[in-house]
Amino acid sequence: MAEICCEVVAGSSSEGKGPECDTGSRAARRRRMEIRRLRVVAERGAEEETSGKRRRLDGGGGEASTDEEDREVERARYGFTSVCGRRRDMEDSVSACPGFLPGHHFFGVFDGHGCSHVATSCGQRMHEIVVDEAGAAAGSAGLDEEARWRGVMERSFARMDAEAVASSRGSVAPAPTCRCEMQLPKCDHVGSTAVVAVLGPRHVVVANCGDSRAVLCRGGAAIPLSCDHKPDRPDELERIHAAGGRVIFWDGARVFGMLAMSRAIGDSYLKPYVICDPEVRVMERKDGEDEFLILASDGLWDVVSNEVACNVVRACLRSSGRRERNRSSPTSNLSPRQSSSSGDEAPNDGAPSAAAGSESDEESAAEEDKACAEAAVLLTKLALARQTSDNVSVVVVNLRRRKL
Amino acid sequence: MPCIPASSPGIPHQHQHQHHRALAGVGMAVGCAAEAAVAAAGVAGTRCGAHDGEVPMEVARHHEHAEPGSGRCCSAVVQHVAAPAAAVWSVVRRFDQPQAYKRFVRSCALLAGDGGVGTLREVRVVSGLPAASSRERLEILDDESHVLSFRVVGGEHRLKNYLSVTTVHPSPSAPTAATVVVESYVVDVPPGNTPEDTRVFVDTIVKCNLQSLAKTAEKLAAGARAAGS
Repeated sequence: MAEICCEVVAGSSSEGKGPECDTGSRAARRRRMEIRRLRVVAERGAEEETSGKRRRLDGGGGEASTDEEDREVERARYGFTSVCGRRRDMEDSVSACPGFLPGHHFFGVFDGHGCSHVATSCGQRMHEIVVDEAGAAAGSAGLDEEARWRGVMERSFARMDAEAVASSRGSVAPAPTCRCEMQLPKCDHVGSTAVVAVLGPRHVVVANCGDSRAVLCRGGAAIPLSCDHKPDRPDELERIHAAGGRVIFWDGARVFGMLAMSRAIGDSYLKPYVICDPEVRVMERKDGEDEFLILASDGLWDVVSNEVACNVVRACLRSSGRRERNRSSPTSNLSPRQSSSSGDEAPNDGAPSAAAGSESDEESAAEEDKACAEAAVLLTKLALARQTSDNVSVVVVNLRRRKL
Repeated sequence: MPCIPASSPGIPHQHQHQHHRALAGVGMAVGCAAEAAVAAAGVAGTRCGAHDGEVPMEVARHHEHAEPGSGRCCSAVVQHVAAPAAAVWSVVRRFDQPQAYKRFVRSCALLAGDGGVGTLREVRVVSGLPAASSRERLEILDDESHVLSFRVVGGEHRLKNYLSVTTVHPSPSAPTAATVVVESYVVDVPPGNTPEDTRVFVDTIVKCNLQSLAKTAEKLAAGARAAGS
């Protein structure tokens, strides 16, 4: 699939563009990358402010559940980036909400198609819906944690899908502005993937719908926490056929030859063949083994394997942990042109002084956030260097608990 | 004469049910396979009879074409619209404005012409589909008979030698309030796919577009009635 797309892109660029156009295009891409990198920092800062506010509200009236009282609240350490890449439009959305529930952090990647508004809505609303559903499920004491989270996610995805469809009907809810003017039936071909992770004191919950992906790095191994919903996945193919649908190989396996994924938020014109039910996985955390979590759209996974992605992130986090000046290892995978932009970053200061106390802790935490953001950017650059043909969105979450 | 759909010769009945189940909606489609064409011992230039019984007789002549040979396939989709023919035609005829009723259109630019026969348009397709653009030439625009035809002459997609005909005529049962739209097409079967694959894919798009047309025209007619009263 990626190769076919690359060929098409290469063909069209060789037809219509001279060297000047190429130069402009490359410069434009570099500019977008720079702008995005600034936005990464800005967005992370903004999230911290939101997080602080949210924590105060929680502190005022929030009720802590029993198992959470046993744990000290863990601060989220994460970074993300989201770039247009070779596509004409940006239709991805990323959501990071540290402390969205007491002791819990929310992360989501939403890869839109057809237009951007469904993915945008997911980015704005999914975490709020999960909060609602988690609150409603808090009373069901009979369920174990896994069953409770499974129910929360299934109901949340169904509500998000219903909202995506309802907002297309021009409901009262304020709608984001987008190209298609959100008029039914002309935009019921718009949809989005949704891969969502909730990081709690004892569990990582991942819910996935579509072909974005979550990968856990544990003890050096890449463990997929989601399985891509491709139409030719045997169980998905069987489900679609049983519903009376068709999967046709048309530039890859597609539902009715149209959509390259078998589950999505939105896409009401292909229901009931393309459903929004998430596959939910509840993974118990293992201290000492869990390293980090990566959530990303298929713009990354189409050109970078789980293992390579984990190696890149590990190298990035490790070099930050050791405060090494030399960053050649993470950047060596990139082309000279793209790795040069990493060179302008200032090297870290000397060894940390133990006497700094809380100041040192704060610096260390900020450093870890920066390392996660850098890891996300590195993965994105790698995907672009490998000629991905899609938007790329990456979230990296550090899972190592710091020793007290 | 009332329009009574019936099974076409050579097309298994199950085929139609498959389509009905596949996409709930008023649209129906029937086509012929290259194998069936060969089995029928069709001679090049012989008229294709695959749509007989499905396409209303009032407009059948507009949807006639030569028997598609090996490597080609054809189909016709019928859509009933609860709006007067004039309202429906006013939307269909805007070759320069496919966004008015078609789905999957990201943008449309005219490369030549101003909406009349010979107009060339470049349609850019929304993301997520196995096509990026389609270059199309307007072949027929008949405001008397309400017939529009276009040919796909380029673009980034797998549908080669695509020729489409759309007709709009008053519904026999309610001539002033309802309309029957028929869109038929002939196209090459892409390498690696079957005629059935090709029909499923193209029919899905055509049905979506005609359902969208129905809603657009019905809304337009409702607006006109409100203005009139």
